[in-house]
Amino acid sequence: MFKSMFTALINLFKPVHTVNYPAEDIVLPKGYRGLIEYDKESCIFCDKCEKVCPPGAILFYQPLEGEKEYRYNPWLCIYCGECVRACPKPEEALWQSETKQHSAVKEDGANEGWFVYEEACKQSREDFKAAKQASKTQNKSEE
Amino acid sequence: MKKTIQIPLGSQHISLLEPIRFKFECENEKIIGVDADVGFVHRGVELACTRSFEFKQVGYVVARVCGLCAITHSLSYTLAAEKLLGYEANDRIKYLRMLMVELDRIHSHMLCLAHTAENAGFEALFMQIMADRELVMDLQEAISGNRVQFDFIAIGGVNRDLTPELTALIHKNLTLLSEKIDALIGLFNNNWSLSLKYKGVGVLRLEDAYTYNALGPLARAAGLATDVRVETSDFPYEDIGYTMILESTGDIHARNFVRLREIVNSIAMCRNIADNLPAGEILEKTKGKPKGEAVVRVEAPRGELFYLVRGNGGNMLERVRIKTPTFSGIPAMMEVFKSSEYADAPAILASFDPCMSCTAK
Amino acid sequence: MTKLETTLATLLADIGTFYEPKKWHFLTVNGIDLGEGKIELQWIFSKYGVKDEIVIYYALSDYETPVPSLVSLIPSAFMGEREIVDMFGLKVDGAERGLYLDEDSLQHPLRSES
Repeated sequence: MFKSMFTALINLFKPVHTVNYPAEDIVLPKGYRGLIEYDKESCIFCDKCEKVCPPGAILFYQPLEGEKEYRYNPWLCIYCGECVRACPKPEEALWQSETKQHSAVKEDGANEGWFVYEEACKQSREDFKAAKQASKTQNKSEE
Repeated sequence: MKKTIQIPLGSQHISLLEPIRFKFECENEKIIGVDADVGFVHRGVELACTRSFEFKQVGYVVARVCGLCAITHSLSYTLAAEKLLGYEANDRIKYLRMLMVELDRIHSHMLCLAHTAENAGFEALFMQIMADRELVMDLQEAISGNRVQFDFIAIGGVNRDLTPELTALIHKNLTLLSEKIDALIGLFNNNWSLSLKYKGVGVLRLEDAYTYNALGPLARAAGLATDVRVETSDFPYEDIGYTMILESTGDIHARNFVRLREIVNSIAMCRNIADNLPAGEILEKTKGKPKGEAVVRVEAPRGELFYLVRGNGGNMLERVRIKTPTFSGIPAMMEVFKSSEYADAPAILASFDPCMSCTAK
Repeated sequence: MTKLETTLATLLADIGTFYEPKKWHFLTVNGIDLGEGKIELQWIFSKYGVKDEIVIYYALSDYETPVPSLVSLIPSAFMGEREIVDMFGLKVDGAERGLYLDEDSLQHPLRSES
């Protein structure tokens, strides 16, 4: 019994195991996987990242005129880095940073807004295809 | 008049981490009949793997079956897919995969030990083991870049390499950990009040282990010499110093000791891997589409994990069958409960290390 | 991996002569939907202490034919049998629905038409 009391007394003066979290920052190891970042200038719009993404967090919107539009949902992303490995120009067009996303609040529309956008992307692809088909047939008839 | 009473344990109970319901048929304090309901967290992963995801993405889907054995699930699927693609990984990839699996085993076993201690009424020991477990979690975090969902294994290799700093960190943390494990072994062996709760409680006899096809630490504690690590040739476990741990009594104490000694063995294996890592590429390109049928068995921390994958040469798979360790362990578990006391049930249950999200997938 | 063909009628006799509890570890029962109402059932065994020795007994069947239960030979087979009952809506002697789905559920998720 004296032994256990002695141990308890020693333990009183031991340093604490836990991290004083909100006051002190947690030190993350180097190379911690974070958000996927994108550079429009170097992108060649091959859509490879969109195809390999397991949760479908990268989408391209296809307007009728001009370049495709990149859209990324940081709350859906699982940070696996598969898109970066699929990218033909990694570290230039698409790379994985160490920054982390803040938690989503309602205004971010992490779910609802994204569902709408998913639909819009799908629709835009179909519209683009239809417009292309239409212009093709028009060209043919002109000839 | 009815002589027995029914006492349920679960689906929400203070000793459970995940929902499972046992209906115990009790005669006074003694349990004489058990009924188990395991399907509370069914999510339809098998269906999702064949309908919604392409075969290259499935590895990331099955990793979400269970948080604790994320690495073994993605590893088993990847091995099966690689067999279908006719690809064999080089030695460096194999060693890196083994390293992560063994680290996973260490922290999973420590979680189970902590939980067994907590359910037997030793709250402080729970805190202590969980604090020591952080050493391994930190290692996995540093190697894979994430804390729980590692996403470390991809078809054709692994996603990240081991740097010299990481090797140093592995040695540093494992040295610290092995001291703590030695202290724990002494504690579990010699502490009198722990022995009251563990020795001779929840016994699985060897004949029952054979009859009910027990597996993993549960079987090895009963003296059944089965370990998928020696029954498959996917990984060179003999080269890195694997030894099979066997106990004979089959009670909670024996199960704890199988786990503790396996941790010691795994620490030694991890050190060997970190020292003797062969050279080579870490990610190789694979070609083709999966066609045919492949079965893969991998020793997860809780026992044997089995994957059957069938592809038809397309992007989508035809069937992914996941058989998790707890799923086949449940018949043996139900047998152990019979003829033990109701008051011991939480501690016995924790000593099985049940993983319900694996079981119901 | 060895694949041996059997039929539902001779299943109990085949596995009864093959299975020895101290030699073979019973893994699970598996079903694979082949489309058009056909289903392939597999009973998977592995040998203790031997490298890479897996034996799969398989039988072709349909959704309606009752599947014999192996519980009399292998007491732990009931988990796998209850699972195929849930997932494919098959009839197995002595195995009832309700392992993963509700007891009165009308779904059978892993059938190819569902």
